[in-house]
Amino acid sequence: SNPNPVLLGVSPQDESYYKGILSSSATFVKCKDGSKKFSKSQLNDDFCDCVDASDEPGTSACPNGKFYCRNPGHIPVYLHSSRVNDGICDCCDGSDEYDGKVNCTNTCWEAGQVARDKLKKKIATYKEGVTIRKREVEQAKVAIAKDEAELSKLKNEEKILKGLVERLQEHKEQIEKAEEKERLQKEKEEKAKKEAEEAATVKEKQTGEEEAKSSEEETVEVDTEDKVGLLEDSTSSQDVVGGHDNPKSELFGGDHTVEEELPNANIEPVEKEYFQAAEGDDEFSVEEKPNVDVGDDLEKKTADMKSLSKEELGRLVASRWTGEKTEQDKNEEVVHNSLGDNHETQEENSYVEDNTYDSEEDEHRYDHDDDDNEEPMDDLGDMDHDDGSSSSDKFESDDDFDLSDVGSTTKSSWLEKIQKTVRQVLRAVNLFQTPIDKSEAARVRKEYDESSAKLSKLQSKISSLSQKLKQDFGPEKEFYSFYGQCFETQQNKYTYKLCPYKQASQVEGHSTTRLGTWEKFEDSFRFMLFTNGDKCWNGPDRSLKVKLRCGLKNEITDVDEPSRCEYLALLSTPALCQEEKLKELEDKLDMMNKEQPTGQHDEL
Amino acid sequence: WKKDEFRNCDQTPFCKRARSRKPGACNLIATGVAISDDGDLTAKLIPRTLENNEAQDPPIEKDNSKPLLLTISVYQDGIFRFKIDEDPSLNPPKKRFEVPDVIIDEFSSKKLYLQRLSEEKIDNDSEYSSVVYLDDDYEGVLRHDPFEVFVRDRVSKKRVLSVNSNGLFDFEQLREKTEGEDWQERFRSHTDSRPYGPQSISFDVSFFGADFVSGIPEHATSLALKPTRGPGVEDGFSEPYRLFNLDVFEYLHESPFGLYGSIPFMISHGKSRGTSGFFWLNAAEMQIDVFGSGWNAGEDKIMLPVDEHRIDTLWMSEAGVVDAFFFVGPGPKDVVKQYTSVTGRPAMPQLFATAYHQCRWNYRDEEDVFGVDSKFDEHDIPYDVLWLDIEHTDGKRYFTWDKILFPNPAEMQNKLAAKGRHMVTIVDPHIKRDDAYHIHKEASDNGYYVKEANGKDFDGWCWPGSSSYVDVVNPEIRSWWADKFSYDQYVGSTPSLYIWNDMNEPSVFNGPEVSMPRDALHYGNVEHRELHNAYGYYFHMASSNGLLKRGNGNDRPFVLSRAFFPGSQRYGAIWTGDNTADWDHLRVSIPMVLTLGLTGIIFSGADVGGFFGNPEPELLVRWYQVGAYYPFFRAHAHQDTKRREPWLFGDRNTELIREAIHTRYMYLPYYYTLFREANLTGTPVLRPLWMEFPSDEETFSNDEAFMVGNSLLVQGIYTERAKKVSVYLPGEESWYDARTGTTYKGGKRYKLDATEESIPAFQRAGTIIPRKDRFRRSSTQMENDPYTLVITLNSSKEAEGELYIDDGKSFEFQQGAYVHRRFTFSSGKLTSSSLSHSAATNTAVKSSTVLPGSTVERIILLGLPSSAKSAVVEPGKQKVEIELGPLTMRRGQTHMYPTIRKPNVRITDDWTIQIL
Repeated sequence: SNPNPVLLGVSPQDESYYKGILSSSATFVKCKDGSKKFSKSQLNDDFCDCVDASDEPGTSACPNGKFYCRNPGHIPVYLHSSRVNDGICDCCDGSDEYDGKVNCTNTCWEAGQVARDKLKKKIATYKEGVTIRKREVEQAKVAIAKDEAELSKLKNEEKILKGLVERLQEHKEQIEKAEEKERLQKEKEEKAKKEAEEAATVKEKQTGEEEAKSSEEETVEVDTEDKVGLLEDSTSSQDVVGGHDNPKSELFGGDHTVEEELPNANIEPVEKEYFQAAEGDDEFSVEEKPNVDVGDDLEKKTADMKSLSKEELGRLVASRWTGEKTEQDKNEEVVHNSLGDNHETQEENSYVEDNTYDSEEDEHRYDHDDDDNEEPMDDLGDMDHDDGSSSSDKFESDDDFDLSDVGSTTKSSWLEKIQKTVRQVLRAVNLFQTPIDKSEAARVRKEYDESSAKLSKLQSKISSLSQKLKQDFGPEKEFYSFYGQCFETQQNKYTYKLCPYKQASQVEGHSTTRLGTWEKFEDSFRFMLFTNGDKCWNGPDRSLKVKLRCGLKNEITDVDEPSRCEYLALLSTPALCQEEKLKELEDKLDMMNKEQPTGQHDEL
Repeated sequence: WKKDEFRNCDQTPFCKRARSRKPGACNLIATGVAISDDGDLTAKLIPRTLENNEAQDPPIEKDNSKPLLLTISVYQDGIFRFKIDEDPSLNPPKKRFEVPDVIIDEFSSKKLYLQRLSEEKIDNDSEYSSVVYLDDDYEGVLRHDPFEVFVRDRVSKKRVLSVNSNGLFDFEQLREKTEGEDWQERFRSHTDSRPYGPQSISFDVSFFGADFVSGIPEHATSLALKPTRGPGVEDGFSEPYRLFNLDVFEYLHESPFGLYGSIPFMISHGKSRGTSGFFWLNAAEMQIDVFGSGWNAGEDKIMLPVDEHRIDTLWMSEAGVVDAFFFVGPGPKDVVKQYTSVTGRPAMPQLFATAYHQCRWNYRDEEDVFGVDSKFDEHDIPYDVLWLDIEHTDGKRYFTWDKILFPNPAEMQNKLAAKGRHMVTIVDPHIKRDDAYHIHKEASDNGYYVKEANGKDFDGWCWPGSSSYVDVVNPEIRSWWADKFSYDQYVGSTPSLYIWNDMNEPSVFNGPEVSMPRDALHYGNVEHRELHNAYGYYFHMASSNGLLKRGNGNDRPFVLSRAFFPGSQRYGAIWTGDNTADWDHLRVSIPMVLTLGLTGIIFSGADVGGFFGNPEPELLVRWYQVGAYYPFFRAHAHQDTKRREPWLFGDRNTELIREAIHTRYMYLPYYYTLFREANLTGTPVLRPLWMEFPSDEETFSNDEAFMVGNSLLVQGIYTERAKKVSVYLPGEESWYDARTGTTYKGGKRYKLDATEESIPAFQRAGTIIPRKDRFRRSSTQMENDPYTLVITLNSSKEAEGELYIDDGKSFEFQQGAYVHRRFTFSSGKLTSSSLSHSAATNTAVKSSTVLPGSTVERIILLGLPSSAKSAVVEPGKQKVEIELGPLTMRRGQTHMYPTIRKPNVRITDDWTIQIL
C-alpha cells in the first residue's frame, strides 16, 4: 500500500524528510546525525551506512533502526528493525515481511475491530470514571477545608484548655507544697513515735503499692479512686502527672499491659502449634529462636543434624535451597510473623479491650487515663471509614462519639463547662488555709486530671489530623478518600488487606504477614508503594507495589508475587480516570476509525 | 558452606593411609614380562622377596602379597595405556569395577599391536627394563625393579610422564574379613557397612618438564593447580583435590574441595617440553595431591634426581582398578585431542543452544513465561531458550506439569517456537515415591531403582520428599528412561522442548555428604562407592539418548547436566552449579570453564549473575559481559532472589546488558565454527592463553583472560568500579581492539581504561572472524542474514580464518551436509575456499539443499592502508567500493576502517576479492 518502495518503513512525520532527499539534486545525503554521507541509491538498499539507522528505515540492516507499519484499520506501530524480514509477521498489514519468505495476510481490520471494541469499552469506563473522579475531587476539597477548619478550631481550644490546665497545675503544686510542709511538720512532731513504727509503715506501703499495681490491671476505675484517696502515695500521682505531660508514656503504659497479657493470650497458642508441628522434637524446637541471624540458625541446625531422623535431615538440607518450605521453617516463620506483628497484635488487643471497656463504663470514659491509649494510632486509620470487619465498625462509632464530644457540634458547651467548673474550683480553694481542706485539694486534683486528660486527647486529635493533612493526596487531592480506607481481596488461602497511607498485609487464617508500611506514590501517582514489611526467610523484606488504573470503584483486581516476597497488586480506582487520558483514548479511537481502509472491510 | 558435613582426608581412611606413606614404600617388582597374543605387554607385579631387600619398610603386608596383573597397550597418536588389576585366576572375592561406556568404541580400533619389546638397563639398575614402541618420537618403558612405568623421548631418553617414580604405589587387594575386624566406617550420623573392606589404590604420577599442572575438575580454584603438600602450600589448600561428585550448598570460590563433577585427567605444561596428560579411568572417590617442589627433601628413597621442572602428584582412589593413560602431547591441542580420542569428541550442539538462555528458579506460570518473552521483544534483546525449573512440575514429578500453573504446555512451547525460541524443562534422577506416579510405578515394579545394601529400593529425600533413584548404570534402564522423552510419554512436550538434568551427583538431602550411601547397590551388584562419580554421567547419557530417540536420531539433543564424568562431552552441556552473586565467583568462573574445556567439556558456563544472592547492577552487567563469551551462556537465579531480567535495572543497564548479549549473537558464526572445531578435534572453544601461546611463560598463570578460539582474546573485569584493567597481550603479532580497532603490540602488558560498555576484547592480527551484525529475536531468524568478515592483517599483511555452517539442528552434517569455508588474505587478495573434511563428492549439492544462500555484506579490513578505494570480485569481475566505516554499527563509533561495501558474494561459493 506504500506508494514508494524506497520509503518503506518511513513514518508520516519523516516522510517529508525522505521525500526531500529523493527530490533533491545532490547525489549524497548526510545521515540524520551527520555522522556520514550516503548516496540516494543507498537509501533502503539493505546496507547500513548510518549508525543512527537513518539510511535504512525499511530494512533490518541497521541494528538501532525503527520500522513504521501503517496498519490501516488498526494502530500504526514502530517495530525494531530487527523484525523486518525475519520470517515472522509483526505488522497486521504484513508490511514488515516483503522478501517473499513468508506471506503475511492483512489482519488489521479484524484485529483493529477487536482493539476498537476494547478501546470503546475503555472509553466508556473512563467517561463514567471521570465523572466520579470529579465528584470525589470536589468532595475532597470540601472535606480538606473542613479538616483544616477543624484543625484550627482544635488548636484554639487547645490553647484555652492548656491555660486552664496550667493554672490547675499551679494550684495543685501549691497544694502539694503545703501538704509536704504539713507532712514534714507532722514528721518532726512524731519523730520518736515514728521510729518505733517505721518498719510497719514500710511494709504497709509496699503492700499498698502492690495492690495498686494489680488493681490497675484489673480495673482502672478502682485505681483512679485509689489515687484520689491515697494522697500521700507519690507513685500513683507521678503516674498521673507523667501521663498528662506525655501522651506517649501513656501509650507505653497501654503496651505494657498488653505485653503482659500476650504470653497468655497470644504467644502460647503459636508455641503450641510450633511444638505440635515439630512432632515433639522439643530439643530442636526450643533451640530455634525467631529473629536470630539466619546463619546462626543454620549452624544450630547443623549441630543438631545428628539427632534428626532421616526424613527430618532431608527436609532440613532441602530447606537450604528452598527456604521456608520445611515444617520447621514454617513454624519458625509463624513465630517470627507473630512477633514481627507484635505491635499490630497489640493494637488489636487494645481495640478489643477498649471496646469492651467503653461499652461497660461509658459514663466514666474521661475519668481514665487509659482511655486514650489507642487514640494516636486509631485516629490515623479510622477517622473516616473502615470498610470491613465488625471490630472496626465499633471503632468507628466510638470515634464518632469522641468527635461529638471533643469536636465541633457541642464545642462551646464542653469547653465553657470546664472553664466554669475550673473557675469555681479555683475560687473555692484556699491555699493559705492550714491544714489544707482535703476535699478541696481532691477537687483540684480531680479537675486537673480531667482537664489534662481532655487536653491530651485534644492534642492527639490535633496531631492525627495534622498528620492526615500532611499526606500527599495527589495533584487534585483525588486520593483523599483513600485515607483511612482499606481494600481487601481474597486469593486462594490468603486475604490481602491494603490500607493506603498506612500499611498492607496478607492474612492467612490467624497469621498476618505485613507486606509493608506506606511509603509513597510513585511514577506520577500510578503506583503506591508499601515497603519494609516482614522479613522474608533468606530473602528481602517484603514489599508491595500497587499499580493503579482507572475503574469505577476502588477494588483490588489482582495480587501477584513476581519475585520472592515482592508483591504486586492491581487496584482499579476512579482516581485514575483522568480527563486528559480520556481525551487521548478518544483521539486514538478517532484515528483508528480514520485509518480504516475504504472498502477493505467490505472485501473481507 | 558446611565444611563439617563433608569428609576431609583425615576422616577418609584410605586417603589418610595413602597420604601417610613414605616415598619408596612400594616393594613391588615386575616379573614375567612378555608380549601377549593381543599385542599387549603383560607382566606380574609381586613383592620383592625379603632376601632381595632386607630393609623392608613397611613390612610386606601379607594380604597384598598376591601378584597383580599389569597390561600395557599402545594406541595411535601417542597414547599409552596401562592397567593393573587383581589376577582373576586367583579367585579374588569380587571382580573389581571397571567403568563401562566411557571409552568410545572407535578407540579400540586405534590400538597398535606390539610386536616386540627391547630390554635395557637404565639409571644404573641391576635389573633390566622393558622398552616398547609408542610412536616415532616416544617410547614406553616398564622398569622391573624398582617397578616404574613411564614414557620417554626416544632420542633424549628423558622421561615425559611416569608412575611410581617415587615408590608410592599401593594396591589394597580384596580379601576375607579376619575375625573381629570391623570394616564399617562412620561419618556423622551415617554408617557405611563396607562389606568388601579396604580396596583402595594409590600411586604417584610425575610430570616432567612441567611448569604447572591443570585439569581434574571440578574445583572452584585457579587454572594452574596450587600445591597441596610440601613447600608453598597456601592457606586452605592443605587438603588434596577431591573428586567426589557432591551437591555443595554455597560453595567457596577458592578451595580444592570437590564439586558436582569429576574428571581424573590432569594436564601439565612446560615451556621447554610442552604438554602432557594423565588420565585415570576410575569412578570411585578420588583424592589428588599436587606436591610443591622440594616436598621430598630429606627423603633417602628418592629414585629420581631433583628436577625443578618435574611436578609430582599423588592419586588415591577408594576402589576400582588402575586403567590409566599417558598422553604425550607435545602441544596443548595434541593432548586434548589424544584425551578426547579415548573419551569421545564433544557433541556438536544445535545452533540455538550456543545462543543466550534465560533461566530462573522459577518462571511461575504461563503468564510469567509470556510476560518475560514479550519483554525481551520489547527491549530488542535476543534470547533463544526459556527455562523452567522444578516448580513447573506436578509436585516434583518429572515429565508432568502443574496443571494450574501450566495448563497448556504444548501451546505455550508452540507460541515461543513460532518466534524461533525453545524451552527447557528440568528432569532429575530422584523419583517421587508415589504409587499414583507412573514413572515410580514402572520403576519400582521393574526393579529399576538403586538398592540399599539390604536389597530394598533405596529411599532418600530430595525435592519431592521421599524418593528413589533410577539405576541408570544398567543399559536396559537407560533405554527405558530414554523412552520417557518420547512425545507420547512426556505429555505436553513438543519438538522445541529440551532437557536439563540437575541433582545427578546424585544429591540426596539426607544421605551421607548430601549424597547416596556408598554401600548402596547398583546393577551387577556394583557398590555405589565404585561408580559414584559416574552416576550423573549415565543419567545425562540416558536423557540425551532419550532426546535422540525422540527425534528419530536426527535431532541433536540438548541436555544440560550439573554432574559430569569423562565422556560427558558427548552428551551435552555442563554448568558450574550453584554459584553466588559476588565478584569472586565471577572471577573463578573463568578458570573453572577453562579447566572444563581442557578436559573435554568444551560446552560449559557459569550462571550469569550468580545463583545465590542479589547482584548489584554493576556486577550483573559485568557478568553478562564475561558470560557472553562462556561457551554456554545462561542467566539463572535462585527463587529467593529478586527478579533480574535484563530490563529491570534502568535504561542504561538494560542497554549495557543488551549490548553484551548482542556481542554474543554477533559472534555466533565464529562460535559455531569453534564448536565444530571442538567436535572434530576436542580443542576447546574457550582456551587458556597458553594453549595458543605455549611458549610464553607470562601466560602460564593467567586465568583472568582467555582466548575464544585462536583469534579473540578477552580480558574479564572482576572488580567493582574498576578504573583500569591490566591486560597481557601475548605473542609477536599485534592485537586489534574488537570494538574500536585500536592496535596494540603483542608481548606486552597494558593498563587500559576500564569502560562500562564492555570488557576488553582483542582480535589477533592475522585472523579473520565471521560475524552476523543483525540482531533478531533469536538465532533462528538470523539463518539467512548476511555475514560481516573482520580481517586483521598481521605484519606480513596476511590473515586467515574459517567459517562452518550447517542446518544447525540435524545430524546431516555427518553425511557431508555442511559448508566449511577457509578464508585467506594474502597479497591484497581475499580468497574463500572449501575446507571439507568429508570425502563425499556431493557435498556442494547436499549443502545447497540444506543451506540458505546467505551473502557477505561487509568486509572490514584492519591494518590495510586507507588509500584503498575499490576491489574486484571474481568470478564476475564485479567492482565493489571500499569506503571507510565503523567496526560495529553502534552509536559513538569514531574510528573508521576500510570496508568493502556489499560484495554480496555467496558464503557457500568459492570467490576472491582483489584489493585495487
